[in-house]
Amino acid sequence: MNQEDKLKVLKDILLTDEREYASSIHKKIKILEETVNKKNNLSEKVDPIIEDRLQEFIKEIPKTLGPTITETLKSEIKNSQDAVVEAMYPILGRMIKKYIQNEIQVLSEKINQQLNNTFSFKNLKRKIKSKMSGVSEADLIINELQQTKLNQFLVIEKGSGLLISKYSKTDDIDEEMVAGMLTAIKSFVEDAFKSNNQELELINYETYSIYIQNFSSYYIAVAISGVFQAEHRSKLEDKLLDFAQNVINKTDLKNTESLTKKLKAYFSNEFI
Amino acid sequence: MSLSKKIVLLGHFGVGKSSLIRRFVEDTFTDNYKVTIGVHILKKEVEVTDKTIVNLIIWDLEGNDDIANTRPSYMLGTNGIIYVYDLTRPTTYQDLKKDLDFIKTNYANIPIKVVGNKKDLVTNVFLKENEDAFQPYTDFFTSAKKNTKVDKMFSTLAKDLIL
Repeated sequence: MNQEDKLKVLKDILLTDEREYASSIHKKIKILEETVNKKNNLSEKVDPIIEDRLQEFIKEIPKTLGPTITETLKSEIKNSQDAVVEAMYPILGRMIKKYIQNEIQVLSEKINQQLNNTFSFKNLKRKIKSKMSGVSEADLIINELQQTKLNQFLVIEKGSGLLISKYSKTDDIDEEMVAGMLTAIKSFVEDAFKSNNQELELINYETYSIYIQNFSSYYIAVAISGVFQAEHRSKLEDKLLDFAQNVINKTDLKNTESLTKKLKAYFSNEFI
Repeated sequence: MSLSKKIVLLGHFGVGKSSLIRRFVEDTFTDNYKVTIGVHILKKEVEVTDKTIVNLIIWDLEGNDDIANTRPSYMLGTNGIIYVYDLTRPTTYQDLKKDLDFIKTNYANIPIKVVGNKKDLVTNVFLKENEDAFQPYTDFFTSAKKNTKVDKMFSTLAKDLIL
């Protein structure tokens, strides 16, 4: 064995661990290279991290950028009102036009339907009414179409404003709180005008009216939609008086269930 | 069995009537003071026994420095009264006896609960020192902010209403 061979053997003995380590490093670098250089491999590793960060960012946007965006939008709208109007006008205009067209079409269909029943008794009656009153037949038809609808009935104890009974086709109001507030408004108006024996009878709210029929210990409030004219008022008053005098008695006022049944039966027709 | 009862809250401006009601009905509190104009009505059901539910229709009347000026029509048909004063403002309780006498004279036989509110802003020592002014008349020391004895006060009155 010459010197060189001896040195080689000695190197092998002394550097075995380092060589193995170098070889494992080499393998790892190879894998890393493959991961970095091949798009699919890289995205497999990086995508979940980016996805997590992105989700966090999206979640944080309303908190971090929300107030700034709102403020910017507000000031932009305030400073460029003309531009906003210009941008909105065609859209709103189209919407309104479409709505009106639709409503006119519905109305026209209803008028046609009414006129088609030329030989009906109702039509004949309308023709006579038109001749006698001088109001055009078309106006009478339109009037008929805007029928007065009775939506809700509340029987309320005077003074306390406690609800005795209710009858309603929709459940969109809290009747007990409305009964209280109505009573408060009634009390306020009646106090304010310091009127003896005069009571609040009607409240108008855009297309809705609340008619109040007063009795000695209670009052009946009726929520009405549609046109509510003197003629309707008189008819409703007659009905409510008849209901109070001939349909219910004192015991009913203490029995919510029976009063509700009677209200339901008597006012089953929702139109006046 | 379910019964509806009307209760009204009386007292000077800013004593916390609306805050007590809001705490009781909605379990919320705000430091932003908004004066009540006229009347505000809220309701809450209280189960007083296994078989009896009292539906409290709560009338939150606007504050009045002179109780005699309370609109009488708002008081009609009242089943119960809660008189509220502010523990931190002597002007709201200096005429306590006179105010309570007025209520008892004009609304006889109606259950009343007298409430010293804003307890969170005073110490027990303060309550002890002013015992003579508060104790003979007061039923509850409450705090709408800290939710101290608010439910207890309303439910005790609800029980009294069905006796």
